[in-house]
Amino acid sequence: MLLSLIILYVITLIYLSIVERFRNYASIIAFQGWILLGIALLRLHSLDWIELSFIILETLIFKALIVPAILMRVIKKTKINRVRKSGSSQFNALLLSVAALAASALATYYAADSSVHMIFFGVALYALLSGLILIVLRSRIFTHMVGFLVIENGVFLFSMAIGVEMPLLINTAILLDILISVLMLGMFMTKVDDKIHSVDSESLTHVKD
Amino acid sequence: MIYLFFALWAATAAAAFFARSRRTVHLLCTTYFAVHALFAAMLFAGGLYGTPSGGFFSFDAAGTLFYVLMAVVAAFVSLHSERYLKDDDIKTYRVYFAQLMLLTTAITGVYFADNIAVTWILMEATTLCAAGIIYHRRSEASLEATWKYLFVCSTGIAIAYLGILLLSAAAQNESLDYASLPRLIADGNPLYLKTAFLLILTGYSCKMEIFPLYTIGVDANFAAPAPASALISTGLVNAGFLAIFRIYRLFAATEVFDWVRHVMVIIGVLSLAVGAMFLRRTNNYKRFLSYSTVENMGIAAIGLGIGGAGVWAAILHVTCHTLIKSSLFLQMAVVRQIYNGYRINRIGDYININRIGAVGMIAGMVAVLAFPPSPLFVSELMILSQTLADGAWWLAAGIVLLLCIVIYSICYRVIKMCYQPNQDELHLSKIDTRLSYSALTLLAAALVAGFWQPEPLRRIIDIIANM
Repeated sequence: MLLSLIILYVITLIYLSIVERFRNYASIIAFQGWILLGIALLRLHSLDWIELSFIILETLIFKALIVPAILMRVIKKTKINRVRKSGSSQFNALLLSVAALAASALATYYAADSSVHMIFFGVALYALLSGLILIVLRSRIFTHMVGFLVIENGVFLFSMAIGVEMPLLINTAILLDILISVLMLGMFMTKVDDKIHSVDSESLTHVKD
Repeated sequence: MIYLFFALWAATAAAAFFARSRRTVHLLCTTYFAVHALFAAMLFAGGLYGTPSGGFFSFDAAGTLFYVLMAVVAAFVSLHSERYLKDDDIKTYRVYFAQLMLLTTAITGVYFADNIAVTWILMEATTLCAAGIIYHRRSEASLEATWKYLFVCSTGIAIAYLGILLLSAAAQNESLDYASLPRLIADGNPLYLKTAFLLILTGYSCKMEIFPLYTIGVDANFAAPAPASALISTGLVNAGFLAIFRIYRLFAATEVFDWVRHVMVIIGVLSLAVGAMFLRRTNNYKRFLSYSTVENMGIAAIGLGIGGAGVWAAILHVTCHTLIKSSLFLQMAVVRQIYNGYRINRIGDYININRIGAVGMIAGMVAVLAFPPSPLFVSELMILSQTLADGAWWLAAGIVLLLCIVIYSICYRVIKMCYQPNQDELHLSKIDTRLSYSALTLLAAALVAGFWQPEPLRRIIDIIANM
């Protein structure tokens, strides 16, 4: 079951590279939230019930419900739907994503040892690379934010591999999620669109040498 | 004990958020720094120094040295900010000071954190506090800088967290205390250790303002009010330095330490090169000072990479850079008041407009360029000597070449400010020589350290270098 969820998570990351509509980005982030919830339930069931409840509630409420809802609201507010402005074609993005997957698998093969659940490390690495690819290839600020959320989810997933022994690490990752994501999403929704009147990163070029 | 102080600092900052008059804000600021003075007194006279606190903190030598420096700089920043922001409305004024207090508190936490995860949490807290200060002007440029700062810092911190998780795996998930980790990772998987170090270094580079994520610190300094830049470019940069230094020290007992040192040298040289190039290119005095920070932190990274006396020199370099750079940023705040901007190609005749300020800028230039009697001369000479002693003459030659570009760029820009005909609008009524004198005192303290390093300073640097 755990393996099926992780494979599903990898598929969402591959799909992310060819997505063309922002609504789909929000849906994928929501779906990843539900997958992470399932993984947390399966992986961390041996934790103290208070710690486990906190992690489960956070994953459910925050990752699966609130963040996707805010993303949807941003889409409605900014009235942007498509990843029109792309520095690269969907095919190139897919190719890069698959290359990142291969690189992650290779790195996992050489790096993983008995102290880390091998597959968690590989998927987290792939999530990190996928997020970075999104940020680098796409010019929409919204996509950059999604890239950041993908990285966050990857880090959260990896913390679950380690976190059975150290729940403090998972709680720390949750703190990061809540603080930064809410702040960034809130800032994007209330300030960036109002003041900069553009959703493309090209408009963020006033601060330079 | 430390939680009590955190509570007091946070309560004062929270009260400042709701202050209804400037007088109340000033009163709260005074209270805030009085608590810092009490804390410093307890640190030195009350027996706190060298003891653990609250399970996750420890009042060690490194934290104490950088804390004292930061507290002094923050007090100056607070004083200068009162004058600098005197035309602001009460709402933005109180928010600025509250965030300044919170940033100072978060940085204090980073300095004394004794657990790698706690360091990371507090580092993230500094991002939140600094973001509010960067957005102070509420302009498009400040919004852009704030967005970039939040985005890049958060991504960087998330990457650093991945590194911490790997380090935790290498330590068999037993402990994340700085004291226990060296023993736990001594026989760790080398590939894990190398990857963890790279990820943590990359993540924290946005705070230390070194390659690769240095740009974000430059943008932050550009958009924040000049006095706050003095704190961001010194106190916050030192927090990044200390976080990386503690990680660097953890690796000393591992088999990958030589590799770690090589990485530090490469990162240092790249930072120095980037700083040297952009010092020539930028047309904004605040960005110019920020690139000087990138260059100086690059030198400190090279010192750590070289090892031996280089480590001692790197710590001295960062210590004295704190005083020099904060003085220069505070002088720059006075420049901003007079010219209402930082445009390098337009500002001029500063020597006749504000003589003491111009003297401060020129003396600061001498100090930051490591000309004798600057303490940076001592540190850079030690780093170069150690490099030559190790037989890395090519590295020494590269450093000297890049330093020549830095010297030319800084001299050219500062002398231009003082002597070229002014082409900018002047606001002569805003000249406040008291602020220029005040900023000079920090520089004077640094220059004294160039002539004579007091025994307690030497001893504390010895302890840190041999941690």
